[in-house]
Amino acid sequence: MWRSSRFIVISGFGGLLVLMTFAGVDAMRLLRGIQRRNEVIRQDFLNRNRVLNQIRSDVYLSGTYVRDYILEPEPQNAVKHRTSLEKTRRDMDAALRSYSVMLSADETQPYQTLQQELAEYWKVLEPALQWDVEQRRRKGYEFLRDEVLPRRMAMLSIADQIAAVNERQLNSGSTQVASLFTQFQLRLASTVFVTLGLGLALAGFSARKILRLERESIQARSELQELSARLVEAQETERRSISRELHDEVGQSLSALLVGLSNLSAAIPPSAGAELKPHVEGIRRLAEDSVRVVRNITLLLRPSMLDDLGLVPALQWQAREVSKRTGMQVDIAVENVSDELPEQYKTCVYRVVQEALNNCARHAAANTVRIIARQGREHLMLSIQDDGGGFRPDLHRGLGLLGMEERVTHLGGTFELDSEPGRGTLIAISLPLELPNT
Amino acid sequence: MNSIRILLADDHVVMRSGLRVLLERQGGFQVVAEAGDGRQAIELAETHSPDVAVIDIAMPNLNGIEATRHITTKRPDTAVVILSMHSDESYVLRALKSGARGYLLKDSPEADLINAIRAVHDGKAFFSPAISKMMVEDYMRQLQQRGVEDSYELLTAREREVLQLLAEGKSNKETATILNLSLYTVETHRSNILQKLNLHGTPELILYAVRKGVIS
Repeated sequence: MWRSSRFIVISGFGGLLVLMTFAGVDAMRLLRGIQRRNEVIRQDFLNRNRVLNQIRSDVYLSGTYVRDYILEPEPQNAVKHRTSLEKTRRDMDAALRSYSVMLSADETQPYQTLQQELAEYWKVLEPALQWDVEQRRRKGYEFLRDEVLPRRMAMLSIADQIAAVNERQLNSGSTQVASLFTQFQLRLASTVFVTLGLGLALAGFSARKILRLERESIQARSELQELSARLVEAQETERRSISRELHDEVGQSLSALLVGLSNLSAAIPPSAGAELKPHVEGIRRLAEDSVRVVRNITLLLRPSMLDDLGLVPALQWQAREVSKRTGMQVDIAVENVSDELPEQYKTCVYRVVQEALNNCARHAAANTVRIIARQGREHLMLSIQDDGGGFRPDLHRGLGLLGMEERVTHLGGTFELDSEPGRGTLIAISLPLELPNT
Repeated sequence: MNSIRILLADDHVVMRSGLRVLLERQGGFQVVAEAGDGRQAIELAETHSPDVAVIDIAMPNLNGIEATRHITTKRPDTAVVILSMHSDESYVLRALKSGARGYLLKDSPEADLINAIRAVHDGKAFFSPAISKMMVEDYMRQLQQRGVEDSYELLTAREREVLQLLAEGKSNKETATILNLSLYTVETHRSNILQKLNLHGTPELILYAVRKGVIS
């Protein structure tokens, strides 16, 4: 399951990235296409315009050369003019041919008309080019006025028509570009939409996944806490039973042994006393040592006063013991604390105090420790304050403190730790007391 | 002189028979009954009316402290010596509160037991020397640590006399007779002592006296 969700997340985010890249590249490509298209349209327009202007100027020129030719009295000069005219005609033909290549549908009609007019023009001019001086002088003016000039005007107007068409084409080109833009916008919008949708789906999936993981981790943590609480409880039960067993069985038997030895010693007849008494005395010392060892182990495991006498005597004993062992002054103030506290509360408070005193003696190098236990109507409060070295709770939090905190939170209580290097340590816990009807 | 009639209560048979041998070897002691648990001890104290009951703390059914409470309430003439493995003063205080006059560690030498039985039979208190020693040491250490002035210094000479007699197990009336005072005066002294030393009741007063070495 973990593998498959990882696959989904990776492929989802990967897909999203690919999609976004694709959308960007596509948009760039489209934009470049539009730009190129624009350029082509403009270039096209300029080309046509140039060729058209060439044709127009050739039309003018040809008129000029015709006039010069007809009105020239010198035959030699007339030939020169005619040659220029023929060159102009060739130029014009070439221009027309080159224009025919880029001819658009709209221009076909005026172009053909122009072509016809030109053909007509040259046809009219043809005979006049063969005239001699006399003929030219006689018919020249009329010819120019009646044939050449009107035709020239007509051709120029046709060229203007074509130019107008060309202009329109430029405009329609702009429209095309605009529609391309619209298309581009649509495409971009749809890509963005798809990307957003996919992203949203992915985010939803990831969020659900994360929430579930979080839930699972919370559950796992609470299970772990439960487990550790049960472990602590089992340990406590075990300690108590070993402690009891040691005390009640081993301890008592050793005590009986001591009494028996006393009797044995008294029963030794005086004659054998010198030989046997030292042996009995040796055994007696051994038994006494054993009693002491058993008592110490018992107290270390779980002090019997916790069960026999209740929490307060056990705490007082603990305070005295630590004081005796370490030289620290341990003050204990108890207010209102009942001897009938539930088992877990007694154990919890006792172990917290034990651990705290241990820390005070071992790490804090405290001179004085002040323990206050107070039972209110709803809470059992405990505070342990020392004047030792203190520490940074965010940096050094040992297993002991963790264990204390766990014991307390398991009973639904709060655990506070306040310490700073050079300012001592304060531990304060508050345990809610169960209400009688729950 | 009549021998002292004794009830032994301990759940270990070996212990009981050992104690019996030990006591009967001395002159002047007679073990009249043996109980294996607290309830039995109460019953046997009823039927045999012993002078002294030697009771172990850790016993099944009913522990020694509870049994002592019953016995001393119902039969004020029976003095109780508690036998225990615990040397802590919480236990001693608890035992005294339940009405016991003597508190002995199980590993005490036999002479202590003899002395204890004789002392409580005479109406005095008795503690294992190990316990007295420990309590005095604790007290001295506390004084040293706190640097507080010795509260015993607050008492007048007369109050100290009253304290000692009361701690030894004398009643107010006996104390009045011994000191040649009126009962009312002794009661006033007693309440002044308790107030000055911040004590609550005779058991704490006895413990205090032990700690101070006034009695042992």
